[in-house]
Amino acid sequence: MPTADLSLRDEYAAAVERLAGRTLDALRGVEGAVALADPGTGTAPRPVLAAARVLGPDLLAPRLLGAAGPDDEAVLLLAEALLAFPPAALPAGAASAPLSPGLPSGTAASPRHGPDGHGPDGGPDGLGPDATAVVTAWRDWAAGALLTRALASTADLARLAAPGVNLAAPQPDRVPRLEPHAWQAWSVRMAQLSSLALPDLDGPVHDAARANTLALARGAVRSMLRRDHRVAARLARWLAWAAADGRPVPLEIAPVLERIQVVGDGSARTALELSIADALLSGATP
Amino acid sequence: MTDHRILSTAQQIGSRAMAWLHASHEIGFGKLSDNITIDLADPNNAYKPLGECALAASLVLRDGVTGPHDARIARELLDFGWAQLREGNLLYERQLRHLVMTDPLETYVHFARSGYRHPPMDELLESLAKLRAVQVAEILPSRRLAVANARRVVGLRNQPDDWAALAAGTWLGATPEPWAVDWMTGYDITHTVFHITDWGARPENLPEPMRDYVRAWLPAWVDIWLEVGQWDLVGELLVVDSCIGEPVTGAQGWEALAAVQREDGLIPRDNSEPVSDDPEQAFRDHEHTAVVAVVAGTVTLSRALGGAAVAA
Repeated sequence: MPTADLSLRDEYAAAVERLAGRTLDALRGVEGAVALADPGTGTAPRPVLAAARVLGPDLLAPRLLGAAGPDDEAVLLLAEALLAFPPAALPAGAASAPLSPGLPSGTAASPRHGPDGHGPDGGPDGLGPDATAVVTAWRDWAAGALLTRALASTADLARLAAPGVNLAAPQPDRVPRLEPHAWQAWSVRMAQLSSLALPDLDGPVHDAARANTLALARGAVRSMLRRDHRVAARLARWLAWAAADGRPVPLEIAPVLERIQVVGDGSARTALELSIADALLSGATP
Repeated sequence: MTDHRILSTAQQIGSRAMAWLHASHEIGFGKLSDNITIDLADPNNAYKPLGECALAASLVLRDGVTGPHDARIARELLDFGWAQLREGNLLYERQLRHLVMTDPLETYVHFARSGYRHPPMDELLESLAKLRAVQVAEILPSRRLAVANARRVVGLRNQPDDWAALAAGTWLGATPEPWAVDWMTGYDITHTVFHITDWGARPENLPEPMRDYVRAWLPAWVDIWLEVGQWDLVGELLVVDSCIGEPVTGAQGWEALAAVQREDGLIPRDNSEPVSDDPEQAFRDHEHTAVVAVVAGTVTLSRALGGAAVAA
């Protein structure tokens, strides 16, 4: 039933785009931006929950990057989304969308998917045949870690921290590995993991980013030249994170962000990546 | 240390490409018409290919990393070109008439490097090099480097060139945003490196910020031009990789060039359209890429073996 699948995917994609837009507003401090879900009902509708699951840690970016205003709603929504769709139970329409490199269809560049056991560009990246699941598991880990901390400091949300409710996900045992002359595949994987590039998160993926800023930068340059602007934005975000972490980065980030703003796909999701990168970069400037 | 499989591939690509150039000349392609004059209406089409073949052959002889068969072929390519240029008379008369034009010097250098001298041309070039009118000719910064390198290799006493300033004036010299590169700028970069390093003989002459910059971004550039099948530019980028120290781009570019090279040695300049069935048209279309392949092969082997012996 391709037609039904397509409309379902469209519905989820639209929900992701809407939620990304509202998160972006919150990050920018736009008035009234805290209304993440449409007001009225007590529980968010399924597409919104799925969208929250897709955006994952990025929902909490405004809070982590010091945007003003209450953000308990974001915490609540992400928690509900994780409970509604526990790890490995993503709805079919939403499962693949967030993990693809995000190429707009019809551009000159197209993703080169490799055989099993290889990275998204055909090169080895050490994640094995279930690489997509590993990427998802890292995002779940990040969302769980941030939520657990947020709930601990938010008394109103104590009901979600009740005994028996566990939002924390285990830390995956595998990290994208940079093989010689395979920075392409590695960088695309790291782009898929860009939602880990937030303050207050640290782990083996972050260590990999710290240790390989040149590979991140080459990936960003390559993506810019392939007009794969969402991947470029995500890699620029990692570089901004590394700069905020005090690492020297081999590429000027601000002009990259500005260029993507002008020529990118215009989506709220890409704009959110850019905005997070920009906020990280501002934090990095002494 | 460059992987020995890369060296083997590089050697084979270069040797086959030179065989194709040589065979094409044997057929008679690339000859100047008998009634050619110094006022070439279109020097790019008329005699630029002769100069390019001479460049490739002169580097094969300079680097000396080839067998006796290929060395003989290289010598024959130079003989062919020199005869076509009437033992240099054509270049001399063109330079005499058009004093600020740079292409006679830029062509002469490849022959001079291999010992083909034209004494009146040498004298003329000495005298012209002193003229401000010649020094300030309005040409692209990377081409200005080509002229400076030609003066250096020809061995003129008058070398008015400020290398540091010339290098700084290029696109590469500014180490700009590496994602802003385009096809034309790609060639500006490669030529800047070729001339500053004299085709790999002086890797240390490339200023360090420029070298670091090239080594950082060359893998990304090779990757994207491989993806769109710009084999000619990929070949030039591989030359660059060998001109500046330990190569950074790995085997992907070499393997791709080996895969598109035909049995007879032709390498298509790009994958935008099929190679013409007319051999003479195919020679015109793809001669430059063969030259690039010969240069890539010889410079890569030579650098891996410790570098060409060049008089300081």
